[in-house]
Amino acid sequence: MPTTVVRSSILDGRQNGKAPLPTTVNYPFTAIVGQEEMKLCLLLNVIDPRIGGVMIMGHRGTGKSTAVRALADVLPMITRVAGDPYNRETVEEGDLPGLGHRKRERIPVPVVDLPLGATEDRVCGTIDIEAALTQGVKRFEPGLLAQANRGFLYIDEVNLLDDHLVDVLLDVAASGWNVVEREGISVRHPARFVLVGSGNPEEGELRPQLLDRFGLHARIVTITDIEQRMEIVRRRRAFDADPLAFLAAWEPQQRALRRRIVAAQKHVAEVEMPDDALMFAARLCMQLGVDGHRGELTLARAACALAAFEGRQRVTADDVKRIAVPALRHRLRRDPLETTDAGERIAQAMEKI
Amino acid sequence: MSLSFTELVGLELAKQALLLLAVNPALAGVAIAAAVGSGKSTLARAFAALLPSGTPFVELPVNVTEDRLLGGLDLEATLAAGRRVIERGLLARAHGGVLYVDGLNLLDSDVVARLLGVMADGVVRVEREGLSDVHPARFVLVGTYDPADGEVRRGLLDRLGLIVPFAPQTDERLRAEVVRRNMSASGSGATNAAFEDDATEMLRAMIADARERLPGVRIEEEQIRALIQTALSLGVEGNRADGFAVQAALAKAALDGCSAVDDDDLRLAVRLVLLPRATRMPEAEDRREADDHPQTRERGDEEEGDESNAAPEPESQQIEDLLLSAAEAELPENLLDLPFAMQRRGKSGSRGMALNSRRGRFVRAVEGDPRGNRIALLPTLLAAAPWQKLRMKNEELRKGKRILNSRFSILSSDIRVKRFRDKAGMLYIFVVDASGSMAINRMREAKGAVVRLLQDAYVHRDQVGLIAFRGRQAQVLLAPSQSVERAKRELDVLPTGGGTPLASALLTAWQMAQQARERGISQATLVLMTDGRGNVPLQVENGEAPPAAQAQKAQIQAELQKLAALICADRINAIVIDTQADYLSRGEAPKLAEWLGGRYIYLPNAKAEQIAKAVS
Repeated sequence: MPTTVVRSSILDGRQNGKAPLPTTVNYPFTAIVGQEEMKLCLLLNVIDPRIGGVMIMGHRGTGKSTAVRALADVLPMITRVAGDPYNRETVEEGDLPGLGHRKRERIPVPVVDLPLGATEDRVCGTIDIEAALTQGVKRFEPGLLAQANRGFLYIDEVNLLDDHLVDVLLDVAASGWNVVEREGISVRHPARFVLVGSGNPEEGELRPQLLDRFGLHARIVTITDIEQRMEIVRRRRAFDADPLAFLAAWEPQQRALRRRIVAAQKHVAEVEMPDDALMFAARLCMQLGVDGHRGELTLARAACALAAFEGRQRVTADDVKRIAVPALRHRLRRDPLETTDAGERIAQAMEKI
Repeated sequence: MSLSFTELVGLELAKQALLLLAVNPALAGVAIAAAVGSGKSTLARAFAALLPSGTPFVELPVNVTEDRLLGGLDLEATLAAGRRVIERGLLARAHGGVLYVDGLNLLDSDVVARLLGVMADGVVRVEREGLSDVHPARFVLVGTYDPADGEVRRGLLDRLGLIVPFAPQTDERLRAEVVRRNMSASGSGATNAAFEDDATEMLRAMIADARERLPGVRIEEEQIRALIQTALSLGVEGNRADGFAVQAALAKAALDGCSAVDDDDLRLAVRLVLLPRATRMPEAEDRREADDHPQTRERGDEEEGDESNAAPEPESQQIEDLLLSAAEAELPENLLDLPFAMQRRGKSGSRGMALNSRRGRFVRAVEGDPRGNRIALLPTLLAAAPWQKLRMKNEELRKGKRILNSRFSILSSDIRVKRFRDKAGMLYIFVVDASGSMAINRMREAKGAVVRLLQDAYVHRDQVGLIAFRGRQAQVLLAPSQSVERAKRELDVLPTGGGTPLASALLTAWQMAQQARERGISQATLVLMTDGRGNVPLQVENGEAPPAAQAQKAQIQAELQKLAALICADRINAIVIDTQADYLSRGEAPKLAEWLGGRYIYLPNAKAEQIAKAVS
């Protein structure tokens, strides 16, 4: 579902350029019908970014991008040094001249779009062309990775992204630092972000290395419940007819969700994971033959985030069960004779334990 | 002189679709499938004349480059102004109007991906060559294509509300009329001109009127429910079509001057939105269910619509029945003629596309090493230009120690090399049955076909692998891109006869295709030469005790079916060449071909020549 642009009616004969620049209004996150797995995966990553991002795969027309764009509006604020292009909380003296003395400011958690056509220099940053042209001086101009620091980096159709950009992203995501060397300038800046990708498996394969990088893997399918679909159409029409009124009507729910997220962020570090829940997670990974320890780690972090989101102090085995499918479905070994869906295999394994 | 909208004969459904789009831009776009010479592109251009004057109508050439599409640095203006000047692309120019593509199915997958992104967001985000710019680009898309040239990417098709499926023009009178009108348009059709101008004027007025009416048009809950139920019955994927169907019905009602949607409006919505997205025939059960619950129907009549979670309400059920029967009448005999119902796999001939540095169509320039690549001169100069002032300063600092003996300094970081998009090489996997009496003959001919294909492979950058199977399991005789000579030798000394481990052969072939995929060869074609009578199960490899004959047979069948489904799901093309000599005892191989979703060819005495031809 597209983002609606307020009062920019197409085909109305307004000349290009004369039309007022439209304000983009996102569909409210809380008004999205169904697709609970995707929504939960996104929220858990907000609560604990160490979960490692979400990959959302599914049918076209099921609201993948709508959800990610909508997420931006329920994210809490972060504090950064005023005007810092890297959104840092503190700046060391001399790191960027003048910045060290500045005040702090509150900004919403950034959600940065990485468009498919982006070139590497814009993603990583480059020398400011304008400064070079007019003043003949070298100045680093931060790119999208800088903007995304401490926030979200969203790539729609991630399976169609150029290979060399994928490599860059993997490097940066692994180290948390972006390094640029150009025109004799060498810049190294923090770039820690939650990677959110979405795609349609029919459009192209995803490189296995990239798949591994995502903490959670959400699947979305066409909703087949008629009542839910009626509700989707109803809400969509209401939103398209008057986006601002629609937003106003959903503001209480949006505000409530924001409050819940902030509370969960505060408490997530204190959530305990008792031995039985941890054992359950470990057994599940053993049972499924998941390689390495990333599976258990993601399970544990996601379960803690889930408990925090629901205002609980302790993780239960039930929490692990609830996030097991998105945490593990992309970590199963592929067996050519296995036709059962990964989700079902995980469910079966859980029954056995 | 070109024909006006009203003058165009035929393409009635396409006209309807375009009118609906003009009335309701929420429909996002129209895709029209029609053969060459049916007037589809003339129609699209005539459509522009119906729009309010000043509405942009931008034609997108199918070979458009990325910077033309999205925008890029305007070098001349940048240097002149001393600051970055962005030249906006075609998508930005289409803002507020129509983007027209003739040859929707010929668009590059990169271009389609960018287009989809922009359509979803309503803005163009440029993040390239040091530029960062966001500007609005809301447009409706009108696309035409000739299905003979290939499919439109489904992701794109799905974003367009209205789809006009291919309908061959068979009506002779219509054809005659097309010719007559065309002749009068190119000749002395002046007498008609005034009349046609009036007709165009009238249509414009109708559209304007309908646009004003649209926000007030009502649609009942039952009608929406019926549309959604119809979408479910037709197996429409995703939830986007629901909204489009509602918008189409509203537009039709507005166009008819009505203030409420009626059955006809719903029918047209089904025809233009849901039907083309059908992936299955509405099942008899969908209909029967309604008849099985007469109680629900009666009860619903009494207490109208006060429970929303109960069984479908009677009224919507009635409408749905009506819509379904209308849909059934329109469904093509072969459902696979519909764009969304086609098998989800690469059809023979549609090779994977890959970016490379040597051949194909120039897509973009990237930073790179000039060695082994072709330098893109203009992009290189463009990349170097902004730094000249800076570099001059640097040079002065070095006091005469000039790095380059020229006035224009180009450093290695400026070098841009060309990237081309080309048909990626294909991997042919020959899987040859070496069991039984026909084996020797089969091996010889397979060898001939392999050698022949390898000769072609040099031209097409294809690779060939060879797997033989006999006894207990399959064996890779030739890994892709290895020595042909070795394969020939292996084939010469390969013993024949014994069991038929067909499942093992399929598994080995699948693994070969997987490995190739990891190396970037995304498209594989399996050529299976066998009579299809597998009699050795996979498990034997694992050393298990063989089960009873009957159970074993069932196990083999189950294995084959699973493996075939896997190969099919991985979009590996398959061709089964049936070598069963006795025509009447065929049956196993056709079944296998069906499971594989592949082609079946009966060639009992296949010659190398024939095989090579059948495959390529």
